[in-house]
Amino acid sequence: MAQRYSSFSSGSTAWLLQRITAAFLVVVLAFHFFNLHFVHHAYEIEFAGSQARMQNIGYFVTMILFLLTATFHGVNGVYNALVNQGIDGAQKRIAQVVLGAAALLLVVQGIRVANTLAGF
Amino acid sequence: MSQSYDRGLIEDFGRWREFTAGMWAWVFHKFTGWVLIGYLFTHISVLSTSMQGAETYNQTLSGLEGLALVRLLEVGLLAVAVFHILNGIRLLFVDLGVGLESQDKSFYASLVLTGVIVVASVPTFVSGAF
Repeated sequence: MAQRYSSFSSGSTAWLLQRITAAFLVVVLAFHFFNLHFVHHAYEIEFAGSQARMQNIGYFVTMILFLLTATFHGVNGVYNALVNQGIDGAQKRIAQVVLGAAALLLVVQGIRVANTLAGF
Repeated sequence: MSQSYDRGLIEDFGRWREFTAGMWAWVFHKFTGWVLIGYLFTHISVLSTSMQGAETYNQTLSGLEGLALVRLLEVGLLAVAVFHILNGIRLLFVDLGVGLESQDKSFYASLVLTGVIVVASVPTFVSGAF
């Protein structure tokens, strides 16, 4: 029999964003792995090569979007996993603040790194 | 349309012997998700060495890639990422109401395809490490 189970409350903005970011990440994560392990081998990566890639504006924008969507998808996924485990009330609020702060730090540092690699 | 379904308490891992394919898919998707978000923080930390200059960045990356353990962990990361991608595509189709009758089969297909892609990628990932 057809059965459907989701960790998320269907119809919420977070539910929709989790799926929109998923559709984007499926493509970009696969591209990222293929590009940096098969086209360029991970053991051959050097600053000059990273800089050359990041100076391509399309690649730079893609990597920034990759950072933003992966951070949202991952942190929101962790939050929903914690909600599934049964956190409630104050625990939920603490999880929101801690995960929100971690996400913000990750995005800020990721953008700083991207700018450094691109030479901006 | 979707129906309500009493799956029992999947968070009670003591019940793992009773888990169906869909529940294993849920468990694996959560586990691989935790690994991927953990890795994202590690990845940005390592790439942050670029802010100390090109030499530090190059030394850090070549030092890590010179360790056989890191190469093996990269194969593990590939396995985790490929499964999360394939099972994620499966979940997107489920959310769209496509293939609801074949959820077990599509989960097994995700596992097999992950295995094939990872095994085929091992030579590339461990090249020169041993």
